[in-house]
Amino acid sequence: MTANPSTNGTVILPAYNEAERLPDVLRGISSCNLGLEVVVIDDGSHDATAATARTHRATVISHPLNLGYGAALQTGYKYALRTQTSFLVQMDADGQHDPTQIPLLVEPLLGDECDLVIGSRFAEDTGYKMGPLRSIGRKIMTGVAKLAGLQVTDPTSGFQAMNRSMLEHYASDDFPADYPDVDVLVRAHWGGFRVLERSVDMSESLRASTLHGGTRSIYYAYRMILSLLGAAFARRSA
Amino acid sequence: MTSKIAIEELRELFLSAPESAATRWLGIVISLTLVSVVLWLVSRRKLREELTPIWMGATLAFAIVSVEPRALSALTRAIGAWTLSSTLFFLGEFFLLVICLNYAVRLSKAGDQIRCLAQEVALLRTELDQRCRRDPDLDSASVERPGL
Repeated sequence: MTANPSTNGTVILPAYNEAERLPDVLRGISSCNLGLEVVVIDDGSHDATAATARTHRATVISHPLNLGYGAALQTGYKYALRTQTSFLVQMDADGQHDPTQIPLLVEPLLGDECDLVIGSRFAEDTGYKMGPLRSIGRKIMTGVAKLAGLQVTDPTSGFQAMNRSMLEHYASDDFPADYPDVDVLVRAHWGGFRVLERSVDMSESLRASTLHGGTRSIYYAYRMILSLLGAAFARRSA
Repeated sequence: MTSKIAIEELRELFLSAPESAATRWLGIVISLTLVSVVLWLVSRRKLREELTPIWMGATLAFAIVSVEPRALSALTRAIGAWTLSSTLFFLGEFFLLVICLNYAVRLSKAGDQIRCLAQEVALLRTELDQRCRRDPDLDSASVERPGL
């Protein structure tokens, strides 16, 4: 934790109906005194997410309609590109990610070791427990990434940090609106971007339903495989 | 061998059967109705001109095979079908499949454009709010906001 991330960085939190959990997350970031601009992307929430974020002095970007998790992230990337920020950290707004670990992710970026850092629950034994279905899904996705030449242990982690060149890549129209996970990482890897993992502690998500839970996991797996096949085809034809 | 010949003869019988005048007239009426509906939709601005060529083309093809079924007959022989109507249904289904795919592509593009526009609206709204906070003379409430 030697890096000082208070050098012109941005933290983005995509949020959909997170008015209840958001205050704790924002207080957590604020108490770390990292000096980063905190941006909440309110993805068409029906509750007081935007007002709550404003109360905690965060910059709020409100989508006029619900566009999806990936689109909310991308709005954050586009916002950051319009500022002078040198790096961006993305976190979930449900309190799953620990803001005190932001310096861990930012350090390799400041040292120009990589373009993208993934906060991994599985790079080391952190005691994080995943349900059996999600665990199988993670292993499959990790295997798929390995086949594509990318060594990652936690391809579905939403706790990431990136530099400006990565932001420019992610701001393109190719970025998926629903699940930006292993397919996006593999595309970045194939695009020559340097991807690194750092072990982080994470709590269980407090949300009733997650992006990868229940029947959505089947669509998720299908969607990832299709996207990777499309990327491989495009890479071959290029 | 005998049964094979019988089947071939039966198929030839089906293929050489004359189309009834009623079927022909039905085809012509359907074609004219389709053209009228397309023109009516365009005149009411409910269908954009750029989307009409595929419908006009399909209607024209339908009218041609209704008036002059020999082309359809040749195609029926070529694809191994027994009757002109089954070839027509096959072509119709193929046309619908192509048009569905075409609309799925257009829908995907429109979805991407909506996403881009919504993101831009959100970013501009935030920028406006930030400017209003910096310059109290600007009143964000008095600026008309886009509603989606």
